[in-house]
Amino acid sequence: MTRNVTAELLVLRKRAATWILLGIWTLLGIFFSYIIPYALDPEDATGGVEDFFPESLAGNLIVGFPFFGGVFALMLGVFALGSEFGWGTLKTLFTQRPGRLRVLAAKLIALGIVLVPFVLSLFAAGAVASFVIAQIEDAPANWPSAWLLVRALGAGWLILAAWATLGVLLGVVSRGTSLAIGVGILYALVIEGLLGAITDSVSVLEPITNVFLRANGYSIAAALGASFDSIESNGPGSYNGPFVGSVQALAVLVALIGAFVALTGFLLRRRDLA
Amino acid sequence: MTSNLVIETRGLTKRYGDAIVAVDDLELRVRRGEVYGFLGPNGAGKTTTLRMLLGLVRPTSGTAAVLGAPPGSPEGLARIGALVEAPAFYPYLSGRDNLRVLAGYAGVPDGRVEAVLDEVRLSDRAADRSSTYSLGMKQRLGVAAALLKDPELLILDEPTNGLDPGGMAEMRAFIRSLGEGGRTVVLSSHLMGEIEQVSDRVGVIRAGSLVAEGTVEELRGQAGLRVRAEPQAEAARLLVALPDVAAVTSVDGVLDVTVDTARAPAINRALVQAGIAVSELYAQKASLEDVFLELTASGDDHR
Repeated sequence: MTRNVTAELLVLRKRAATWILLGIWTLLGIFFSYIIPYALDPEDATGGVEDFFPESLAGNLIVGFPFFGGVFALMLGVFALGSEFGWGTLKTLFTQRPGRLRVLAAKLIALGIVLVPFVLSLFAAGAVASFVIAQIEDAPANWPSAWLLVRALGAGWLILAAWATLGVLLGVVSRGTSLAIGVGILYALVIEGLLGAITDSVSVLEPITNVFLRANGYSIAAALGASFDSIESNGPGSYNGPFVGSVQALAVLVALIGAFVALTGFLLRRRDLA
Repeated sequence: MTSNLVIETRGLTKRYGDAIVAVDDLELRVRRGEVYGFLGPNGAGKTTTLRMLLGLVRPTSGTAAVLGAPPGSPEGLARIGALVEAPAFYPYLSGRDNLRVLAGYAGVPDGRVEAVLDEVRLSDRAADRSSTYSLGMKQRLGVAAALLKDPELLILDEPTNGLDPGGMAEMRAFIRSLGEGGRTVVLSSHLMGEIEQVSDRVGVIRAGSLVAEGTVEELRGQAGLRVRAEPQAEAARLLVALPDVAAVTSVDGVLDVTVDTARAPAINRALVQAGIAVSELYAQKASLEDVFLELTASGDDHR
């Protein structure tokens, strides 16, 4: 399996789309979390200018994961398998030694590994941005605890992993990339966004929205210090609640990942590869 | 499963819905160490059959064993190299990196990558992106990929597709050399010449069914003589009365004589002694193309 994963990492590492997505995600994340709000009116933030200081790093950045980060991870997941149908390379891989499920496992593990720099790069860039702002404001650079940072990094990875596995599933269902990305973004914006927005007034929807990626992602973000204001005013990714407990949110995300992977494996194993 | 058989199918069938029968009750036997030509017109079901043998497509009914294992099983795939239809590679990876990816999945040492690149004479372009390769180079890279595992069985589906005449000749010689090492090769093609030149045995598929199987010689049938003589009716009467002549038919003013071609001098002598003017007498065998056209003429294929 190690060699399978190494092979898959080569495929992902040398693909320009991986690095382009990583670059855009990091740049947009820093722009929308630090540069733009700080440049416009830093006092507008919930906690004032202190929200941009290093101490608020975890809460300030994690709020970008459940929707914006999710869309990037979804695309990465779609590319990981959907492209293989277009190129015909899945056929080549399936005639090598391992079975189909081992190929899928290698791809998922490699995808999980590639998500790590997505999390780290944003936090690293965020650390630099917050440090610079603290220097500009002549404030001390107090950093969050290592434990909070580790939890935020882990939570960020889990949220991205959930979206990425959804992308993998959509790529396999549609046997391509374009439709999968379209449907994925439609789901993120319309299904999760609109249904989530009316849950407050239509309580019957709550059991459904409680298993949404957005609801559980933001519940974790809130537990890690993200302000409710920033979650509610997060543009197309905004969320007004209800929030669930962080343990429940973690469990739901893990269950969703399991469900997406199981369904992908089932389809990949059963279907003809014509 | 007899150990001498590398591929054995029983009643292998693939249907798509109710209307399309891609492969119909196929009985295929490929022996160890032979180059087996799988010949059929476009859409006859060749690729679908090969995909079923590789586990890419599930049969609707019937069974298949490849190297004694079910199609698509890891133990079978470990000993099979395949090039199915157009070779498929990651366009942004170099030829070498593409093979490294496959070597990683196949569990073969990276050293094999350089060996197969050398074998198909792609070493000098191995660092270039595969998307920049010509069709012939892509085909060669596909063959290199199929050879990575140093397989007992090679399945090559239309490996000369898109190649120029020089490339086709080179590929045929290469396939022939692969078969000479005791390796079993299944070569699918719709090109008679290709199959004729490299195959030990040939299976002809039409409308998803195997309609003929044998060596090229067997498929061509018994040799005969073609005789142009005047008066033709008298020549025919004389010939049919000669010993060893099985049949005489007249086609376009020429007599087709079913007889051992070694009897040509005796037949010529008999005709001349009877006062019949012989203007042409030559040995004639049906070409594989004739056999192929005859066998596949009524096929109305939709595969």
